[in-house]
Amino acid sequence: MTAALHAHHLCLERRDQKGGFKLTVPEIALNHGETLAILGGNGAGKSTLLRILAGLEKIDQGRLELPAGGLVTMVFQRPIAFAGSVAHNIRIALRAQGVHRGDLEQRVSESLGHFGIEPLAERRASRLSGGELRRLALARAFALSPSVLLLDEPFDDLDFEAQEALSQDLRERVAKTGVAVAFVTHDVRRAALLCDRMAILERGRLAQIAPRDQVLNQPASPSIARRVGMNNIFPAKMTESGWAEAGPGLRLPTHHNHPPGTAVWVGLRPEHLKLEREPRPEAGIGSAQICSIVSDRVLCTVELECGGQRMRTHLVAGRGLAREIEVGETLTLSIRPEDVHILQRA
Amino acid sequence: MRVSELGPSDIVEITLRTLAVCASALVIALTLGVPIGIALGRRHFTGRRFLLGLVNSGMGAPPVVVGLIVAQLFFRNGPLGHLELWYSVEAMVAAQVLIALPLVVALVVAAVAALDPDWELQVKTLGIPTIRRRWLLLREIRLGLLAAIIAALGGILSEVGAVMQTGGNLEGETRVLTTAILMHTRMGMFESAYGLAAMLVGLMLILAGLLTWVQYGDRA
Repeated sequence: MTAALHAHHLCLERRDQKGGFKLTVPEIALNHGETLAILGGNGAGKSTLLRILAGLEKIDQGRLELPAGGLVTMVFQRPIAFAGSVAHNIRIALRAQGVHRGDLEQRVSESLGHFGIEPLAERRASRLSGGELRRLALARAFALSPSVLLLDEPFDDLDFEAQEALSQDLRERVAKTGVAVAFVTHDVRRAALLCDRMAILERGRLAQIAPRDQVLNQPASPSIARRVGMNNIFPAKMTESGWAEAGPGLRLPTHHNHPPGTAVWVGLRPEHLKLEREPRPEAGIGSAQICSIVSDRVLCTVELECGGQRMRTHLVAGRGLAREIEVGETLTLSIRPEDVHILQRA
Repeated sequence: MRVSELGPSDIVEITLRTLAVCASALVIALTLGVPIGIALGRRHFTGRRFLLGLVNSGMGAPPVVVGLIVAQLFFRNGPLGHLELWYSVEAMVAAQVLIALPLVVALVVAAVAALDPDWELQVKTLGIPTIRRRWLLLREIRLGLLAAIIAALGGILSEVGAVMQTGGNLEGETRVLTTAILMHTRMGMFESAYGLAAMLVGLMLILAGLLTWVQYGDRA
Protein backbone atom coordinates (compact mmCIF):
# COMPACT_ATOMS: atom_id res chain seq x y z
CA MET A 1 0.00 0.00 0.00
CA THR A 2 1.46 3.40 -0.97
CA ALA A 3 1.16 6.46 1.21
CA ALA A 4 -1.02 9.28 -0.09
CA LEU A 5 0.41 11.45 2.67
CA HIS A 6 3.36 10.74 4.91
CA ALA A 7 4.27 12.82 7.94
CA HIS A 8 7.60 12.54 9.73
CA HIS A 9 8.72 13.78 13.14
CA LEU A 10 5.94 16.32 13.56
CA CYS A 11 6.33 18.71 16.44
CA LEU A 12 4.21 21.71 17.25
CA GLU A 13 4.45 23.79 20.38
CA ARG A 14 2.11 26.61 21.35
CA ARG A 15 2.54 28.70 24.46
CA ASP A 16 -0.39 30.54 25.97
CA GLN A 17 -1.61 31.86 29.31
CA LYS A 18 -2.87 28.40 30.31
CA GLY A 19 0.60 26.93 29.93
CA GLY A 20 0.63 25.87 26.30
CA PHE A 21 0.34 22.70 24.29
CA LYS A 22 2.80 20.38 22.59
CA LEU A 23 1.99 17.85 19.89
CA THR A 24 4.55 15.25 18.83
CA VAL A 25 3.96 12.58 16.23
CA PRO A 26 7.01 10.54 15.14
CA GLU A 27 5.40 9.17 11.99
CA ILE A 28 1.97 8.86 10.44
CA ALA A 29 1.10 7.61 6.97
CA LEU A 30 -2.26 7.81 5.23
CA ASN A 31 -2.51 5.09 2.61
CA HIS A 32 -4.62 5.12 -0.57
CA GLY A 33 -8.01 3.55 -0.02
CA GLU A 34 -7.48 3.34 3.72
CA THR A 35 -9.42 5.01 6.53
CA LEU A 36 -7.67 6.09 9.69
CA ALA A 37 -9.65 7.08 12.79
CA ILE A 38 -7.96 9.51 15.15
CA LEU A 39 -9.29 9.17 18.70
CA GLY A 40 -8.44 10.98 21.89
CA GLY A 41 -9.86 13.01 24.73
CA ASN A 42 -10.61 16.72 24.71
CA GLY A 43 -7.45 18.72 24.13
CA ALA A 44 -5.46 15.66 23.05
CA GLY A 45 -4.55 17.41 19.79
CA LYS A 46 -6.76 15.51 17.35
CA SER A 47 -7.99 18.53 15.39
CA THR A 48 -4.54 20.13 15.53
CA LEU A 49 -3.02 16.99 14.00
CA LEU A 50 -5.65 17.06 11.27
CA ARG A 51 -4.89 20.70 10.51
CA ILE A 52 -1.18 19.95 10.36
CA LEU A 53 -1.84 17.14 7.88
CA ALA A 54 -3.96 19.58 5.85
CA GLY A 55 -1.03 22.01 5.81
CA LEU A 56 -3.07 24.62 7.68
CA GLU A 57 -0.98 24.73 10.84
CA LYS A 58 2.64 25.83 10.99
CA ILE A 59 4.84 23.18 12.58
CA ASP A 60 8.05 23.76 14.50
CA GLN A 61 9.64 20.57 13.22
CA GLY A 62 8.92 17.74 10.82
CA ARG A 63 7.83 17.38 7.25
CA LEU A 64 4.87 16.27 5.18
CA GLU A 65 5.34 14.23 2.03
CA LEU A 66 2.61 14.46 -0.57
CA PRO A 67 3.21 12.72 -3.92
CA ALA A 68 3.15 14.97 -7.01
CA GLY A 69 -0.39 15.77 -8.12
CA GLY A 70 -1.78 14.85 -4.70
CA LEU A 71 -4.48 17.03 -3.20
CA VAL A 72 -5.38 17.23 0.48
CA THR A 73 -8.74 18.64 1.46
CA MET A 74 -10.53 18.93 4.76
CA VAL A 75 -14.08 19.16 6.08
CA PHE A 76 -14.28 21.08 9.34
CA GLN A 77 -16.23 20.21 12.48
CA ARG A 78 -18.65 23.04 11.71
CA PRO A 79 -19.13 22.56 7.97
CA ILE A 80 -18.73 25.84 6.11
CA ALA A 81 -20.97 26.62 3.15
CA PHE A 82 -20.43 29.61 0.89
CA ALA A 83 -23.14 32.16 0.18
CA GLY A 84 -25.34 31.00 -2.67
CA SER A 85 -27.05 27.78 -3.68
CA VAL A 86 -26.01 24.24 -2.87
CA ALA A 87 -25.04 23.72 -6.52
CA HIS A 88 -23.00 26.94 -6.47
CA ASN A 89 -20.95 25.53 -3.57
CA ILE A 90 -19.97 22.53 -5.68
CA ARG A 91 -19.34 24.73 -8.73
CA ILE A 92 -16.82 26.81 -6.74
CA ALA A 93 -14.80 23.69 -5.96
CA LEU A 94 -15.03 22.31 -9.49
CA ARG A 95 -14.02 25.63 -11.07
CA ALA A 96 -11.00 25.76 -8.76
CA GLN A 97 -10.00 22.40 -10.25
CA GLY A 98 -10.28 23.80 -13.76
CA VAL A 99 -13.28 21.67 -14.74
CA HIS A 100 -14.47 22.62 -18.22
CA ARG A 101 -17.61 24.77 -18.33
CA GLY A 102 -19.42 22.20 -20.49
CA ASP A 103 -18.87 19.42 -17.93
CA LEU A 104 -19.62 21.57 -14.93
CA GLU A 105 -23.36 20.98 -14.46
CA GLN A 106 -23.10 17.24 -14.94
CA ARG A 107 -20.27 17.03 -12.40
CA VAL A 108 -22.28 19.17 -9.97
CA SER A 109 -25.31 16.90 -10.12
CA GLU A 110 -23.12 13.77 -9.88
CA SER A 111 -21.37 15.12 -6.80
CA LEU A 112 -24.65 16.03 -5.12
CA GLY A 113 -26.17 12.68 -6.11
CA HIS A 114 -23.41 10.74 -4.35
CA PHE A 115 -24.55 12.22 -1.06
CA GLY A 116 -28.27 12.22 -1.78
CA ILE A 117 -28.70 16.00 -1.93
CA GLU A 118 -29.35 16.50 -5.65
CA PRO A 119 -32.96 17.61 -4.97
CA LEU A 120 -31.54 20.45 -2.83
CA ALA A 121 -29.31 21.79 -5.64
CA GLU A 122 -31.07 25.14 -5.96
CA ARG A 123 -31.70 25.69 -2.24
CA ARG A 124 -29.70 28.37 -0.46
CA ALA A 125 -26.85 26.72 1.44
CA SER A 126 -27.65 28.93 4.45
CA ARG A 127 -31.05 27.23 4.72
CA LEU A 128 -29.75 23.67 5.01
CA SER A 129 -30.10 21.61 8.17
CA GLY A 130 -26.98 20.44 10.03
CA GLY A 131 -27.08 17.02 8.38
CA GLU A 132 -27.65 18.43 4.90
CA LEU A 133 -24.83 20.92 5.39
CA ARG A 134 -22.48 18.11 6.35
CA ARG A 135 -23.49 16.20 3.23
CA LEU A 136 -22.87 19.29 1.12
CA ALA A 137 -19.41 19.74 2.66
CA LEU A 138 -18.58 16.11 1.90
CA ALA A 139 -19.98 16.29 -1.64
CA ARG A 140 -17.90 19.43 -2.25
CA ALA A 141 -14.77 17.78 -0.86
CA PHE A 142 -15.25 14.66 -3.01
CA ALA A 143 -15.95 16.82 -6.08
CA LEU A 144 -12.29 17.86 -5.95
CA SER A 145 -11.20 14.20 -6.36
CA PRO A 146 -8.69 14.58 -3.53
CA SER A 147 -6.01 12.03 -2.78
CA VAL A 148 -6.39 12.71 0.94
CA LEU A 149 -9.58 13.67 2.75
CA LEU A 150 -9.45 14.87 6.35
CA LEU A 151 -12.67 14.98 8.36
CA ASP A 152 -12.98 16.67 11.72
CA GLU A 153 -15.79 15.06 13.74
CA PRO A 154 -17.86 14.21 10.64
CA PHE A 155 -20.76 12.83 12.69
CA ASP A 156 -20.90 15.55 15.32
CA ASP A 157 -24.43 16.79 16.14
CA LEU A 158 -26.12 14.20 13.92
CA ASP A 159 -28.81 11.88 15.24
CA PHE A 160 -28.24 8.15 15.11
CA GLU A 161 -30.11 7.57 11.86
CA ALA A 162 -28.31 10.43 10.10
CA GLN A 163 -24.98 9.08 11.35
CA GLU A 164 -25.77 5.63 9.99
CA ALA A 165 -26.86 6.95 6.59
CA LEU A 166 -23.85 9.26 6.28
CA SER A 167 -21.47 6.46 7.32
CA GLN A 168 -22.90 4.28 4.58
CA ASP A 169 -22.53 6.95 1.89
CA LEU A 170 -19.04 7.83 3.09
CA ARG A 171 -17.94 4.19 3.08
CA GLU A 172 -19.21 3.79 -0.48
CA ARG A 173 -17.45 6.90 -1.76
CA VAL A 174 -14.17 5.96 -0.07
CA ALA A 175 -14.32 2.47 -1.58
CA LYS A 176 -15.11 3.83 -5.06
CA THR A 177 -12.59 6.68 -5.12
CA GLY A 178 -9.70 5.06 -3.25
CA VAL A 179 -9.10 8.30 -1.35
CA ALA A 180 -7.05 8.14 1.84
CA VAL A 181 -9.24 9.30 4.73
CA ALA A 182 -8.33 10.40 8.24
CA PHE A 183 -11.15 11.37 10.54
CA VAL A 184 -11.29 12.63 14.08
CA THR A 185 -13.97 11.33 16.40
CA HIS A 186 -14.88 10.76 20.03
CA ASP A 187 -17.12 7.86 19.13
CA VAL A 188 -15.22 4.56 19.29
CA ARG A 189 -18.13 2.58 17.88
CA ARG A 190 -18.42 4.85 14.85
CA ALA A 191 -14.64 4.76 14.40
CA ALA A 192 -14.61 0.96 14.57
CA LEU A 193 -17.36 0.75 11.95
CA LEU A 194 -15.54 2.96 9.44
CA CYS A 195 -11.81 2.64 9.91
CA ASP A 196 -9.07 0.25 8.93
CA ARG A 197 -6.56 1.68 11.39
CA MET A 198 -6.81 3.67 14.60
CA ALA A 199 -4.51 6.32 16.02
CA ILE A 200 -4.86 7.25 19.68
CA LEU A 201 -3.66 10.65 20.86
CA GLU A 202 -3.10 11.37 24.54
CA ARG A 203 -2.15 14.88 25.67
CA GLY A 204 -0.43 15.70 22.37
CA ARG A 205 1.38 12.35 22.11
CA LEU A 206 0.67 9.61 19.58
CA ALA A 207 0.07 6.81 22.08
CA GLN A 208 -0.78 4.04 19.60
CA ILE A 209 -1.34 3.65 15.88
CA ALA A 210 -2.22 0.20 14.59
CA PRO A 211 -4.82 -1.78 12.66
CA ARG A 212 -8.28 -1.42 14.15
CA ASP A 213 -8.54 -4.89 15.69
CA GLN A 214 -5.12 -4.61 17.23
CA VAL A 215 -6.02 -1.38 19.01
CA LEU A 216 -9.37 -2.78 20.11
CA ASN A 217 -7.93 -6.09 21.38
CA GLN A 218 -4.41 -5.13 22.36
CA PRO A 219 -4.49 -1.54 23.53
CA ALA A 220 -1.03 -0.31 24.41
CA SER A 221 -1.99 1.05 27.84
CA PRO A 222 -4.84 1.00 30.36
CA SER A 223 -5.90 4.50 29.32
CA ILE A 224 -6.13 3.46 25.65
CA ALA A 225 -8.02 0.35 26.76
CA ARG A 226 -10.60 2.56 28.51
CA ARG A 227 -10.83 4.83 25.49
CA VAL A 228 -11.63 1.93 23.18
CA GLY A 229 -14.35 0.61 25.45
CA MET A 230 -12.43 -1.88 27.59
CA ASN A 231 -13.89 -0.35 30.72
CA ASN A 232 -12.91 -3.10 33.17
CA ILE A 233 -9.18 -2.84 33.65
CA PHE A 234 -7.15 -3.78 36.70
CA PRO A 235 -3.70 -5.02 37.69
CA ALA A 236 -3.09 -8.76 37.98
CA LYS A 237 -0.33 -11.37 38.24
CA MET A 238 0.03 -14.44 36.06
CA THR A 239 -0.17 -17.75 37.92
CA GLU A 240 1.49 -21.05 37.11
CA SER A 241 -1.64 -22.48 35.52
CA GLY A 242 -1.81 -19.56 33.02
CA TRP A 243 -4.58 -17.75 34.86
CA ALA A 244 -4.44 -14.11 35.81
CA GLU A 245 -5.06 -13.39 39.45
CA ALA A 246 -6.41 -9.94 40.14
CA GLY A 247 -7.39 -10.29 43.78
CA PRO A 248 -8.72 -12.73 46.35
CA GLY A 249 -11.32 -14.83 44.58
CA LEU A 250 -10.77 -13.08 41.23
CA ARG A 251 -9.00 -15.46 38.85
CA LEU A 252 -9.35 -15.10 35.10
CA PRO A 253 -8.75 -17.77 32.45
CA THR A 254 -6.41 -16.64 29.64
CA HIS A 255 -4.82 -17.95 26.47
CA HIS A 256 -1.61 -16.08 27.23
CA ASN A 257 1.65 -17.76 28.17
CA HIS A 258 3.38 -15.14 30.26
CA PRO A 259 5.79 -16.50 32.87
CA PRO A 260 4.22 -17.02 36.31
CA GLY A 261 4.54 -13.96 38.52
CA THR A 262 4.49 -11.51 35.56
CA ALA A 263 2.69 -8.31 36.49
CA VAL A 264 0.08 -7.48 33.87
CA TRP A 265 -3.04 -5.40 33.27
CA VAL A 266 -6.21 -7.33 32.62
CA GLY A 267 -8.78 -5.73 30.30
CA LEU A 268 -12.34 -6.99 30.00
CA ARG A 269 -15.05 -5.53 27.77
CA PRO A 270 -18.37 -5.15 29.64
CA GLU A 271 -20.20 -6.98 26.86
CA HIS A 272 -17.95 -10.03 27.28
CA LEU A 273 -18.73 -10.57 30.98
CA LYS A 274 -21.52 -13.04 31.65
CA LEU A 275 -23.69 -13.01 34.75
CA GLU A 276 -25.38 -16.25 35.78
CA ARG A 277 -27.32 -17.57 38.74
CA GLU A 278 -25.72 -21.04 38.59
CA PRO A 279 -22.09 -21.39 39.71
CA ARG A 280 -19.75 -22.50 36.85
CA PRO A 281 -16.31 -22.98 38.36
CA GLU A 282 -14.65 -24.11 35.07
CA ALA A 283 -15.24 -20.79 33.23
CA GLY A 284 -16.23 -18.66 36.14
CA ILE A 285 -14.37 -15.67 37.42
CA GLY A 286 -16.00 -15.91 40.81
CA SER A 287 -18.90 -14.58 42.82
CA ALA A 288 -19.87 -10.99 42.15
CA GLN A 289 -22.11 -8.72 44.14
CA ILE A 290 -24.35 -6.27 42.32
CA CYS A 291 -23.61 -2.66 43.35
CA SER A 292 -25.87 -0.74 40.96
CA ILE A 293 -28.18 -1.21 38.01
CA VAL A 294 -28.78 1.54 35.45
CA SER A 295 -31.03 0.94 32.48
CA ASP A 296 -31.82 3.14 29.45
CA ARG A 297 -34.49 0.68 28.24
CA VAL A 298 -32.09 -0.65 25.60
CA LEU A 299 -29.06 -1.54 27.63
CA CYS A 300 -28.86 -2.36 31.32
CA THR A 301 -25.49 -1.46 32.84
CA VAL A 302 -24.73 -3.45 35.97
CA GLU A 303 -21.90 -2.49 38.28
CA LEU A 304 -20.41 -5.37 40.24
CA GLU A 305 -17.82 -6.05 42.89
CA CYS A 306 -15.73 -9.17 42.53
CA GLY A 307 -12.55 -10.00 44.40
CA GLY A 308 -12.13 -6.42 45.55
CA GLN A 309 -12.42 -5.01 41.97
CA ARG A 310 -15.29 -2.99 40.56
CA MET A 311 -16.50 -4.11 37.14
CA ARG A 312 -19.22 -3.25 34.70
CA THR A 313 -21.27 -5.48 32.47
CA HIS A 314 -24.17 -4.99 30.07
CA LEU A 315 -27.43 -6.90 29.81
CA VAL A 316 -30.26 -6.43 27.33
CA ALA A 317 -32.78 -4.26 29.17
CA GLY A 318 -36.12 -5.81 30.06
CA ARG A 319 -35.09 -9.38 29.25
CA GLY A 320 -33.87 -12.42 31.20
CA LEU A 321 -31.64 -11.58 34.12
CA ALA A 322 -32.06 -7.84 33.64
CA ARG A 323 -35.67 -8.20 34.81
CA GLU A 324 -34.81 -10.29 37.87
CA ILE A 325 -31.60 -9.04 39.45
CA GLU A 326 -31.49 -6.65 42.37
CA VAL A 327 -28.81 -4.57 44.04
CA GLY A 328 -27.00 -6.55 46.76
CA GLU A 329 -27.60 -9.92 45.12
CA THR A 330 -24.63 -12.26 44.54
CA LEU A 331 -24.29 -14.00 41.17
CA THR A 332 -21.66 -15.94 39.25
CA LEU A 333 -19.49 -13.99 36.82
CA SER A 334 -17.80 -15.72 33.89
CA ILE A 335 -15.84 -14.91 30.74
CA ARG A 336 -14.30 -16.86 27.86
CA PRO A 337 -10.47 -17.01 27.97
CA GLU A 338 -10.21 -15.41 24.51
CA ASP A 339 -12.04 -12.37 25.83
CA VAL A 340 -9.53 -11.77 28.60
CA HIS A 341 -7.05 -9.21 27.24
CA ILE A 342 -3.64 -9.11 28.84
CA LEU A 343 -1.65 -5.86 28.59
CA GLN A 344 2.01 -5.58 29.49
CA ARG A 345 2.62 -3.68 32.72
CA ALA A 346 5.77 -1.60 32.86
CA MET B 1 -24.54 89.59 -5.77
CA ARG B 2 -28.26 89.03 -5.97
CA VAL B 3 -29.46 85.50 -5.28
CA SER B 4 -32.80 84.51 -6.69
CA GLU B 5 -35.05 81.51 -6.08
CA LEU B 6 -33.72 78.40 -7.83
CA GLY B 7 -35.20 76.95 -10.99
CA PRO B 8 -35.43 73.21 -11.73
CA SER B 9 -32.26 73.30 -13.84
CA ASP B 10 -30.30 74.84 -10.93
CA ILE B 11 -31.52 72.14 -8.57
CA VAL B 12 -30.55 69.41 -11.07
CA GLU B 13 -27.11 70.94 -11.50
CA ILE B 14 -26.52 71.08 -7.72
CA THR B 15 -27.87 67.55 -7.34
CA LEU B 16 -25.54 66.17 -10.03
CA ARG B 17 -22.55 67.86 -8.36
CA THR B 18 -23.61 66.46 -4.99
CA LEU B 19 -23.83 62.98 -6.48
CA ALA B 20 -20.44 63.34 -8.19
CA VAL B 21 -18.73 64.48 -4.97
CA CYS B 22 -20.39 61.78 -2.85
CA ALA B 23 -19.78 59.02 -5.40
CA SER B 24 -16.09 59.94 -5.70
CA ALA B 25 -15.68 60.02 -1.93
CA LEU B 26 -17.54 56.72 -1.55
CA VAL B 27 -15.44 54.94 -4.20
CA ILE B 28 -12.21 56.14 -2.57
CA ALA B 29 -13.46 55.25 0.93
CA LEU B 30 -14.46 51.76 -0.24
CA THR B 31 -11.20 51.22 -2.13
CA LEU B 32 -9.23 52.07 0.99
CA GLY B 33 -11.66 50.91 3.66
CA VAL B 34 -12.57 47.42 2.46
CA PRO B 35 -8.99 46.02 2.41
CA ILE B 36 -8.24 47.76 5.73
CA GLY B 37 -11.46 46.36 7.24
CA ILE B 38 -10.70 42.84 5.98
CA ALA B 39 -7.15 42.98 7.36
CA LEU B 40 -8.34 44.32 10.74
CA GLY B 41 -11.13 41.76 10.89
CA ARG B 42 -9.10 38.66 9.97
CA ARG B 43 -5.58 39.27 11.20
CA HIS B 44 -4.36 39.53 14.76
CA PHE B 45 -1.32 41.72 15.23
CA THR B 46 0.17 44.09 17.75
CA GLY B 47 -1.64 47.41 17.70
CA ARG B 48 -4.86 45.94 16.27
CA ARG B 49 -6.89 47.02 19.28
CA PHE B 50 -5.51 50.53 19.06
CA LEU B 51 -6.43 50.72 15.38
CA LEU B 52 -9.92 49.36 16.08
CA GLY B 53 -10.33 51.98 18.80
CA LEU B 54 -9.20 54.65 16.35
CA VAL B 55 -11.72 53.46 13.76
CA ASN B 56 -14.54 53.38 16.31
CA SER B 57 -13.68 56.88 17.49
CA GLY B 58 -13.52 58.00 13.86
CA MET B 59 -17.13 56.90 13.36
CA GLY B 60 -18.21 59.53 15.84
CA ALA B 61 -15.89 62.28 14.64
CA PRO B 62 -17.84 65.54 14.10
CA PRO B 63 -17.80 66.36 10.35
CA VAL B 64 -17.17 70.00 11.16
CA VAL B 65 -13.90 69.08 12.89
CA VAL B 66 -12.91 66.87 9.95
CA GLY B 67 -13.69 69.83 7.67
CA LEU B 68 -11.56 72.12 9.82
CA ILE B 69 -8.56 69.78 9.61
CA VAL B 70 -8.86 69.28 5.84
CA ALA B 71 -9.38 73.03 5.29
CA GLN B 72 -6.24 73.71 7.32
CA LEU B 73 -4.31 71.22 5.19
CA PHE B 74 -5.38 72.84 1.93
CA PHE B 75 -5.26 76.45 3.19
CA ARG B 76 -2.80 78.64 1.26
CA ASN B 77 -0.27 78.46 4.12
CA GLY B 78 -1.12 74.84 5.01
CA PRO B 79 1.07 71.78 4.37
CA LEU B 80 -0.81 71.00 1.13
CA GLY B 81 -1.41 74.62 0.15
CA HIS B 82 0.81 74.29 -2.94
CA LEU B 83 -1.81 71.99 -4.47
CA GLU B 84 -4.18 74.97 -4.62
CA LEU B 85 -7.18 72.87 -3.66
CA TRP B 86 -8.70 75.17 -1.04
CA TYR B 87 -12.39 75.65 -1.77
CA SER B 88 -12.38 72.94 -4.41
CA VAL B 89 -14.38 69.81 -5.15
CA GLU B 90 -11.21 67.77 -4.48
CA ALA B 91 -10.96 69.20 -0.95
CA MET B 92 -14.64 68.40 -0.38
CA VAL B 93 -14.05 64.82 -1.57
CA ALA B 94 -11.02 64.53 0.76
CA ALA B 95 -13.12 65.62 3.74
CA GLN B 96 -15.93 63.22 2.84
CA VAL B 97 -13.46 60.35 2.45
CA LEU B 98 -12.27 61.00 6.00
CA ILE B 99 -15.88 60.95 7.24
CA ALA B 100 -16.84 57.79 5.32
CA LEU B 101 -13.65 55.78 5.86
CA PRO B 102 -14.14 54.88 9.56
CA LEU B 103 -17.75 53.85 8.84
CA VAL B 104 -16.68 51.58 5.98
CA VAL B 105 -13.77 50.07 7.93
CA ALA B 106 -15.82 49.46 11.09
CA LEU B 107 -18.72 47.80 9.29
CA VAL B 108 -16.41 45.65 7.15
CA VAL B 109 -14.49 44.61 10.30
CA ALA B 110 -17.78 43.58 11.92
CA ALA B 111 -18.88 41.62 8.83
CA VAL B 112 -15.54 39.85 8.47
CA ALA B 113 -15.29 39.06 12.19
CA ALA B 114 -18.74 37.45 12.04
CA LEU B 115 -17.48 34.86 9.53
CA ASP B 116 -16.60 31.41 10.81
CA PRO B 117 -12.97 31.46 12.03
CA ASP B 118 -12.27 28.47 9.76
CA TRP B 119 -13.73 30.15 6.66
CA GLU B 120 -10.40 31.10 5.15
CA LEU B 121 -8.90 27.71 5.92
CA GLN B 122 -11.85 25.99 4.24
CA VAL B 123 -11.36 28.08 1.11
CA LYS B 124 -7.67 27.25 1.19
CA THR B 125 -8.24 23.49 1.46
CA LEU B 126 -10.51 23.62 -1.59
CA GLY B 127 -7.57 24.87 -3.65
CA ILE B 128 -9.36 28.07 -4.68
CA PRO B 129 -6.97 30.62 -6.27
CA THR B 130 -6.23 33.86 -4.39
CA ILE B 131 -8.18 36.23 -6.63
CA ARG B 132 -11.26 34.02 -6.51
CA ARG B 133 -10.84 33.71 -2.71
CA ARG B 134 -11.07 37.52 -2.43
CA TRP B 135 -14.16 37.58 -4.59
CA LEU B 136 -15.72 34.83 -2.44
CA LEU B 137 -14.93 36.79 0.70
CA LEU B 138 -16.61 39.92 -0.68
CA ARG B 139 -19.63 37.81 -1.63
CA GLU B 140 -19.67 36.34 1.84
CA ILE B 141 -19.62 39.75 3.57
CA ARG B 142 -21.91 41.45 1.03
CA LEU B 143 -24.60 42.28 3.60
CA GLY B 144 -22.08 44.06 5.82
CA LEU B 145 -20.53 45.69 2.77
CA LEU B 146 -23.86 47.12 1.63
CA ALA B 147 -24.58 48.27 5.20
CA ALA B 148 -21.23 50.08 5.05
CA ILE B 149 -22.18 51.72 1.73
CA ILE B 150 -25.57 52.82 3.08
CA ALA B 151 -24.03 54.21 6.29
CA ALA B 152 -21.21 55.98 4.47
CA LEU B 153 -23.52 57.42 1.84
CA GLY B 154 -25.96 58.61 4.50
CA GLY B 155 -23.11 60.23 6.39
CA ILE B 156 -21.60 62.15 3.49
CA LEU B 157 -24.76 62.97 1.56
CA SER B 158 -26.40 64.74 4.49
CA GLU B 159 -23.23 66.27 5.92
CA VAL B 160 -22.88 70.07 5.69
CA GLY B 161 -20.10 71.29 7.99
CA ALA B 162 -17.12 69.72 6.25
CA VAL B 163 -18.20 70.52 2.69
CA MET B 164 -18.91 74.11 3.68
CA GLN B 165 -15.43 74.53 5.18
CA THR B 166 -13.57 72.78 2.37
CA GLY B 167 -15.71 73.80 -0.62
CA GLY B 168 -16.93 77.23 0.42
CA ASN B 169 -20.34 76.81 -1.29
CA LEU B 170 -19.14 78.53 -4.49
CA GLU B 171 -21.92 78.87 -7.05
CA GLY B 172 -21.44 76.62 -10.06
CA GLU B 173 -18.28 75.15 -8.51
CA THR B 174 -18.59 73.68 -5.05
CA ARG B 175 -22.25 74.22 -4.14
CA VAL B 176 -23.91 70.96 -3.12
CA LEU B 177 -27.42 70.22 -1.82
CA THR B 178 -26.67 70.65 1.89
CA THR B 179 -24.72 73.90 1.55
CA ALA B 180 -27.34 75.28 -0.84
CA ILE B 181 -30.17 74.43 1.61
CA LEU B 182 -28.27 76.16 4.41
CA MET B 183 -27.67 79.27 2.32
CA HIS B 184 -31.25 79.58 1.04
CA THR B 185 -32.66 79.05 4.54
CA ARG B 186 -30.41 81.83 5.92
CA MET B 187 -31.63 84.10 3.16
CA GLY B 188 -35.28 83.30 3.82
CA MET B 189 -35.74 81.65 0.41
CA PHE B 190 -37.76 78.78 1.76
CA GLU B 191 -39.19 77.72 -1.58
CA SER B 192 -35.71 76.91 -2.93
CA ALA B 193 -34.62 75.47 0.42
CA TYR B 194 -37.60 73.09 0.42
CA GLY B 195 -37.03 72.18 -3.23
CA LEU B 196 -33.42 71.28 -2.46
CA ALA B 197 -34.43 69.48 0.75
CA ALA B 198 -36.99 67.41 -1.13
CA MET B 199 -34.33 66.47 -3.65
CA LEU B 200 -31.88 65.50 -0.87
CA VAL B 201 -34.40 63.40 1.03
CA GLY B 202 -35.68 61.81 -2.20
CA LEU B 203 -32.14 60.98 -3.25
CA MET B 204 -31.38 59.42 0.11
CA LEU B 205 -34.58 57.38 0.07
CA ILE B 206 -34.00 56.12 -3.49
CA LEU B 207 -30.37 55.16 -2.80
CA ALA B 208 -31.12 53.52 0.55
CA GLY B 209 -34.09 51.68 -0.96
CA LEU B 210 -32.03 50.50 -3.91
CA LEU B 211 -29.21 49.29 -1.69
CA THR B 212 -31.61 47.54 0.69
CA TRP B 213 -33.16 45.76 -2.26
CA VAL B 214 -29.71 44.64 -3.44
CA GLN B 215 -28.77 43.71 0.14
CA TYR B 216 -31.68 41.42 0.87
CA GLY B 217 -33.07 40.65 -2.57
CA ASP B 218 -36.10 38.39 -2.29
CA ARG B 219 -35.52 37.85 1.43
CA ALA B 220 -36.49 41.39 2.46
